[in-house]
Amino acid sequence: MRISRAWAFALLGIPIAFVLAFFVVPFGVVLLDSFRTKAGMWTLEHYAKVMGDLYYWEVLLLTFKLSLYVTLATFLIGYPLAYYIVRHVKSRLIRSLLYIVVVTPLFTSNIVRAFGWMVLLGRRGLVNDVLIATGAIGSPLPLLYGQTSIVIGLTYIMAPFMVLTVASVLQNIDRSLDDAARDLGAGAWTTFWRVTFPLSLPGVVAGSLIVFTLSVSAYVTPSILSGGRQNVTSMLIFQQYGAILNFQFGAALSVVLLVTALILVGVYLIALDRGRRPA
Amino acid sequence: MGRGERIGKTILTGFAWIAVLYFLLPLVIIVGTSFTTTAFLRFPPEGFTLAWYAKFLGDPSYLHSIGLSAALAASATVTAVLLGVPVALVLSRSEVPGARLITALFLSPLILPPIVIGAALLQYATVIGIARTFAALFFGHVVLIIPYVIRTTIASLARFDQSLEEAAQDLGASGPETFRLITLPLIKPGIIAGSLFAFIISWINVEISIFNTTASLMPIPVKLFNYIQYNVDPMIAAVSAATIYVAFVVVVLLDRVIGIERAATNRA
Repeated sequence: MRISRAWAFALLGIPIAFVLAFFVVPFGVVLLDSFRTKAGMWTLEHYAKVMGDLYYWEVLLLTFKLSLYVTLATFLIGYPLAYYIVRHVKSRLIRSLLYIVVVTPLFTSNIVRAFGWMVLLGRRGLVNDVLIATGAIGSPLPLLYGQTSIVIGLTYIMAPFMVLTVASVLQNIDRSLDDAARDLGAGAWTTFWRVTFPLSLPGVVAGSLIVFTLSVSAYVTPSILSGGRQNVTSMLIFQQYGAILNFQFGAALSVVLLVTALILVGVYLIALDRGRRPA
Repeated sequence: MGRGERIGKTILTGFAWIAVLYFLLPLVIIVGTSFTTTAFLRFPPEGFTLAWYAKFLGDPSYLHSIGLSAALAASATVTAVLLGVPVALVLSRSEVPGARLITALFLSPLILPPIVIGAALLQYATVIGIARTFAALFFGHVVLIIPYVIRTTIASLARFDQSLEEAAQDLGASGPETFRLITLPLIKPGIIAGSLFAFIISWINVEISIFNTTASLMPIPVKLFNYIQYNVDPMIAAVSAATIYVAFVVVVLLDRVIGIERAATNRA
């Protein structure tokens, strides 16, 4: 069925108007406001404040550093699990159950998941209890309310994205390529590194991008699991809007976060493209 | 199979099942502690009681928040379907100029920081005079969930044989008739799956809602968020556990409609 131009415009009209009105224009307001004073005069003072204060640089750096750790951790956990589900599980039922296990957390609020880790990582939490019971440590480790708990919590929250994006790419890789490599004498390990893994890279890239961008902007998990002792950029943004009521400065911070994230994603994609081209 | 390969396989299997435990553990802990008879969080739970569930179900403010979240998610989902399905249809069945730009426009809420979307909506809502109202929450949620509907609908439209539509039209059916009699029944599972995704994304959202809430207008995730930062007790575990049950029901529904494997990896 082909849809004529006239119908196409008629069908698109209202949805586009809606997204313009409640998505594009609001972003425009943020962008404009970031260049204005409270009184409405044009200014660069908010950006000067962000750039000139070492504190904001440190928070931004920490935000990106933690996101990088989270991306790496989700890859280390997610890739093997995705590979196992797609390549090794023969039974449809078990495969479905495994997908249910991966998707159910995704459908549970970040707060509830962070709460679960609060219970697990507390001084009298299960993790410390087990470590003490096995004699691995003498006194409880301060796992909660710091960078460690933020990374652990965010990794848990982002891991399903990695598993699912990698699995969807692995699923579509032609298995006869494996067979061909094996027939030509390659071992299982060589076949994986030389054939399967390179072919699955688009899934790894897509998964890392999703995990990284979502981690950079995550708000709920860091604020619960930092116990307010560690600020990431999104928490600063929320403070400006929710407590300090300096919308203009909050807007500038939002723009800085957005632009820096986009630049890093761009750099990553370019580096990847370079790497793939034969030297 | 060589010996090294068998060892590799065993390690992979062991690792995968540890990962499965890791995915389950935080949820199991919450469900477990919600039944404890102690006044503090305890896992494994001591005894078994439903008192914490009774306590939150007896608190009108929780019921109000749950009702608000359900109304918000339902109305936003219906709207997102009405707006998103036509977009998906046009994008996959016609050559409009700027199709890539239109796709990017509708899908960008997936990757833009939700906290920035929330902030932008508060700022905008303040300008047009609807700050901290149901309308502000509603518009934000529709924008946030439209991509899920569009993505799953496009995926289902790409899956079936277009000659069915052509046959209907050759036999004299008009465009709208073809859509109603052929296309819609075939893409219905995809639309339902997209709606389930959309519903749950709205149901669990904090980042966009939190900017536009007031004490009497507070979706359940925001209420939980405010509570958890100051106080944790088994009642909050019971409320959290209830949201896990909702997630599980939606996952099972997805499995029924199009199969969880397809829903999870092809996004319908």
